[in-house]
Amino acid sequence: MPLLQTHALTRRFPGVLALDHVDFAAEAGEVHAVCGANGAGKSTLMNLLSGTITPTSGTISVNGETVSFVSPADARDAGIAIVYQEFSSIPELTVADNIFLGREFCGRFGAIDRRAASRAAADLLGRYGISLRPDALVGSLGVADRQLVEFARALATDARILILDEPTAVLSISEQAKLFGVIRTLRERGLLVLYISHRLEEVFEIADRVSVMRDGALVATREKSALTSSELVRLMTGRDVAANTAPALLVEGRRTALKLEGISENGVPLELREGEILGLAGLVGAGRTSIAHRIAGLRPRDGFSAALFGAALPDDPARVLAAGVVYMTEDRKRDGIFAPLAVTSNATAASLDRFALGSFLRLRRERAQAGEVLRGLRLVAASLDTPIGSLSGGNQQKVLFARALLARPKVLICDEPTRGADVGAKEEIYAVLRRLAAEGVAIILISSELNEVLALSHRIAVVRHGRITAVMDNAGLDEHALLVAATGAGSKNAAA
Amino acid sequence: MSMALDTPRASLRLPSLDKAAVWIVLVVLLLLAGLASDAFFKINYLTNLVRQAAPVGITAVGVTFVMLLRGVDLSVGAIVSMSAVVCALVMDGKAENLWLGIAAASACGAAIGLANGLLIAHGKVSAFILTLGMSIVVYGLVQMGTGGTARGIVSPGFREVLNSRVGGVLPVLVIFLLVAMAIGIFLQSRTRFGRSVYLIGANPDAARLAGLPVNRVTVIAYVVSGFFAGLGGLALLARTGVSGTNPGAGMEFDVLAAVVLGGTTFAGGRGSVGATFAGVMVLFIALNLANVAGLPYAAQLTIKGLIIIAASAAHSWIGWRVSARTQQ
Repeated sequence: MPLLQTHALTRRFPGVLALDHVDFAAEAGEVHAVCGANGAGKSTLMNLLSGTITPTSGTISVNGETVSFVSPADARDAGIAIVYQEFSSIPELTVADNIFLGREFCGRFGAIDRRAASRAAADLLGRYGISLRPDALVGSLGVADRQLVEFARALATDARILILDEPTAVLSISEQAKLFGVIRTLRERGLLVLYISHRLEEVFEIADRVSVMRDGALVATREKSALTSSELVRLMTGRDVAANTAPALLVEGRRTALKLEGISENGVPLELREGEILGLAGLVGAGRTSIAHRIAGLRPRDGFSAALFGAALPDDPARVLAAGVVYMTEDRKRDGIFAPLAVTSNATAASLDRFALGSFLRLRRERAQAGEVLRGLRLVAASLDTPIGSLSGGNQQKVLFARALLARPKVLICDEPTRGADVGAKEEIYAVLRRLAAEGVAIILISSELNEVLALSHRIAVVRHGRITAVMDNAGLDEHALLVAATGAGSKNAAA
Repeated sequence: MSMALDTPRASLRLPSLDKAAVWIVLVVLLLLAGLASDAFFKINYLTNLVRQAAPVGITAVGVTFVMLLRGVDLSVGAIVSMSAVVCALVMDGKAENLWLGIAAASACGAAIGLANGLLIAHGKVSAFILTLGMSIVVYGLVQMGTGGTARGIVSPGFREVLNSRVGGVLPVLVIFLLVAMAIGIFLQSRTRFGRSVYLIGANPDAARLAGLPVNRVTVIAYVVSGFFAGLGGLALLARTGVSGTNPGAGMEFDVLAAVVLGGTTFAGGRGSVGATFAGVMVLFIALNLANVAGLPYAAQLTIKGLIIIAASAAHSWIGWRVSARTQQ
């Protein structure tokens, strides 16, 4: 009998079927990888298993017993623990303190018995082969060790099932090896480890079996030995070599708009021409956004230099913007929208110079121009005075596009421009990007959706570990080739 | 389902609850006050009420900008004291020093605001702690400057003019307050500074990404706050005369209460000078009602504190409801 099983597990969000009748089974003593593209339903499945959300229908059973989780505490009681990508440990406390956070060993009068906690922590760490000192301050530890503290916290709840959500996203190769050692010990101890990852090379290294999800459904569960990396990619994308809509050819005689030196692995400078759309392909955590931030002056350039039409690009965000390089954030909520403010104010935030006479705003002119651009983008909103926070994700993105357009970009860096947009809004955003390119704007497109990168880009640069490892003309490329390049599966699995 | 942009129905929408709340409260309080006392709706009584509110109201205009920016200015009470004392000392009872005194008082306010702004924008000090500390510093300076006793004499005509009524009806101090409000509203909605304050307050990270000069706007906002507190000190001096070395003591809390009542909460980017005016009036009518009801000063103080707590709780509740409704 499988340790963990789901029957027709379904979860519906408003307008989205996030998980569709999933029958999943995994055994004790295995490392079971769950793969899938963004939005395939991995996170929904894990959130259901860990009690963060409740199913719309279907059941979960542990050890043959049907369980129902109303809260994460219920899942913990059933022996399921989850380790998220973000650290939740407290740096100012010791390893032992963190492991038993919220479940402190209390002596008489409710005083915390630190010696008992330390002993219990040492015992726990030893049992799973984790080499950490219980009295070390978590803040003094490296990233991998902090990750292990998260493991230990989860294990301290007597978990039999440990869910790891992209545990290596922030780790270097050697740190990763350390982590894998611990995961193997867990497997030997009879735990079930559910391993979620985008990185195929890791999946092939650590997993015993692989389940692939796509569009909310479980499409296959295979033994690793019966799976090749190209087959896995095919299962994930659901497509054989898809016919690629060839993008318009670059017009000859366009000048080089942006030149980046010191960013490619082979030392060749990356040149972006006027009217060109360059896709940045890579996995989550590969460093695409970090490259964008470094161009935009949001973080130090660190050993690479940028030039705009031959002149060195300043390194202060406001001056980069003034020079005509506009960065559109991937995280609308964090540093994109001004939620309580009107659509108009949001649209003109980066171009107030043009709507002011000295210190005074020219409101009528602002309203007219913002309205014109927003209508061109087919914004759906009650009025120009509606707070942007009340719009849908796709419409918020259109307003951010309007902000970028009103700033009259020479180079536009779009980071996940269609995140949260529905199909219709996506098509409209694609049309805007194509039109801008036709008008001569150089565009860097970052997207986790490979089909998007393929449909829009003239060239595609592959990013791994914060550097560009290859630049390919987008002719005859498909998702498979791109995913292989992005994961490095090609080099790794030739031997497997 | 929402509509395409700029359809005629858009103009029929009512203002949202968070913007309307303080005005609704103001109307309810006015009705209550009218019921409680026949004298209330007499023009003299009303204008007198607004006159009383002038020092707090004028000061609150500046503080609104700081709070729109997610900041706070607890030094305004001390600036009011300083302004009143400096004005009286500079005037020294001479008619020719009238404008010099007014200029000196406003300049002092702006200077303290500049110090606040520079330290907050560039020193990355918490606005709460810094302006609290600054208020103690300023009180100390005022005590040192006066030797601890009420000194200075205002220019002849200063109090007489400010306390007169235009046409025998409208007090000059009320006009002073309304002009300050009008300047505030203009700054808020017609200038780059005002727009930048809203943008930075609503989302400082996005503002930085949009190339807005966050530090410069922060400094200007505290200068504006200090300047209006300086004007508030002049209004207080006109109302009460040279009445001590610390006439503005505790006024920062009245100002804070009024601004928060108006819906300019600590969340930033929400609220307005107009709403602050409504907040000022709500505060003073409530205190007036407490007075009419015969409550002692101590009880009024308690009411003031409860108003601050209740208003910020109500506004964050409304804000939470609004954002919950708009979440996907």
